[in-house]
Amino acid sequence: MKSKSLMETYAEKRDNLVRTFAARLRSISEAEDLIQDLFFKIERFDQQEVGENPSALLFQMANHLMLDRLRSQKRAGIRDAVWLQGHAPSPQGQTLATEPSAETALAARQQLSALIQHVDELPPKVAQAFRLHKLEDRSQAETAEVMGISQSTVEKHISAALKRLIRARN
Amino acid sequence: MKTQPTDIDIAIDWLVRLQRSTVSPADWLAFDAWLLASEHHAQTYDAALALDLQLASYEPETIQATPLPSRPLNMSIGPKTWRWPVMGAALASLLIAAGLIWQSQVQVPPEAAYATAIGAHKTVILSDGSRIDLNTASRLTVDFDRSRRQVRMKDAEAYFDVAKDPRRPFVIEAGHSQIQVVGTAFDVKNRDGQLVVSVERGIVDVQPLPSTAAKHYRLRPGQALSYDQSTGLINDSLAQSGEASSWRTGRLIYRDQPLSVVVADLNRQFDRPIRLGDAQTGKVRLSGVLIVDTQTAMVKRLSALLPLKSSDKGDRIVLTMR
Repeated sequence: MKSKSLMETYAEKRDNLVRTFAARLRSISEAEDLIQDLFFKIERFDQQEVGENPSALLFQMANHLMLDRLRSQKRAGIRDAVWLQGHAPSPQGQTLATEPSAETALAARQQLSALIQHVDELPPKVAQAFRLHKLEDRSQAETAEVMGISQSTVEKHISAALKRLIRARN
Repeated sequence: MKTQPTDIDIAIDWLVRLQRSTVSPADWLAFDAWLLASEHHAQTYDAALALDLQLASYEPETIQATPLPSRPLNMSIGPKTWRWPVMGAALASLLIAAGLIWQSQVQVPPEAAYATAIGAHKTVILSDGSRIDLNTASRLTVDFDRSRRQVRMKDAEAYFDVAKDPRRPFVIEAGHSQIQVVGTAFDVKNRDGQLVVSVERGIVDVQPLPSTAAKHYRLRPGQALSYDQSTGLINDSLAQSGEASSWRTGRLIYRDQPLSVVVADLNRQFDRPIRLGDAQTGKVRLSGVLIVDTQTAMVKRLSALLPLKSSDKGDRIVLTMR
């Protein structure tokens, strides 16, 4: 009995791959696109030997596709923010909620700036790491360099800031 | 005092780890295992991701100063029909950006219609977190209110992953039939007078006939029901897990299906129609898997699987018996 084919593994892991790559691409739609490209790639690959761990292989293939893509990525954040607005509680049943309006987009921005205010409550180093990485779009490595601290410390700061914000949001 | 990390803390740690410049296959395997360990893990991770995507949209200048339009935007559904009045450039570009995501992930206002062109797929995330994957050449409408989540589909096929909400049943109207669920995943195909419901997860109640007194069929995971609207024949058969929704990964799976059904499916994938040379050809039966790629390649494979020959007539392809 042959181990699972790449295509079967793809079907199983698709959603989790989207989740994984959406983190780095910072966009669900870009991640969906990427995983769609992965599908076309493995279609050609399917018949061949895939070895012991098709799941790891799939990840590596997707990772290569992503690195290609990151070089040409344009920021897709705004699109996702508009989408995400639909997941936030909205006024029930009123006309405002019936259309994805400019008001909705504006409300998303206002909500976001209110949220970001909470960063000021954090220790200065944490807030600085957060601003550099999340708001000024620097990588974790660049943030570490700018601040003269290690990457693992940057990670800890970012985690701490996000934990504060998600509680502020809920 | 240190307290036990909650799921959301762990989810955020994962998110940050996945945003390193290099992520190893071992990281991915560990992350995947964590996601699979509990449904709640995936939910909390999605919440963490949602926060991060919201932050990714941060633009320090320009937008804050954008004025409100003088009246509400008049937009109907779908990117092609969007209209907007003249307004600031920043706002216009924002709306264009909003139009772009319509292809993949979109918020759903109450009462919205979604459609796919021939050969296209689309994923729609509804406001309750439910997800609909629309197959090619399909159209459906979504109408949510406080007591009910209603979807109407005519000529369409879609895979539904419905979020649990016991206070608001999720009801699908497909032709005269009604399909009711609480929270579950299943495929509905309503084509050419034939309704097929295949359940992957949870429980689905199908009422094929319009009358309120008509019989309900309760389907459990792995079960499927087909209903022929012209003959009234109802057939509840065992479905192979994932088979009905195989189109989501670009495959069409058939078990002893007439070629007429296969050709109808292909004609929903490509603009150039495939025709059957005669009625007899349409009765040839197919069992097998077709990968959806180009029309030429698919016709070639089909001709290899079955005793058929194809002739290219320019604006159409005709299949006849060899």
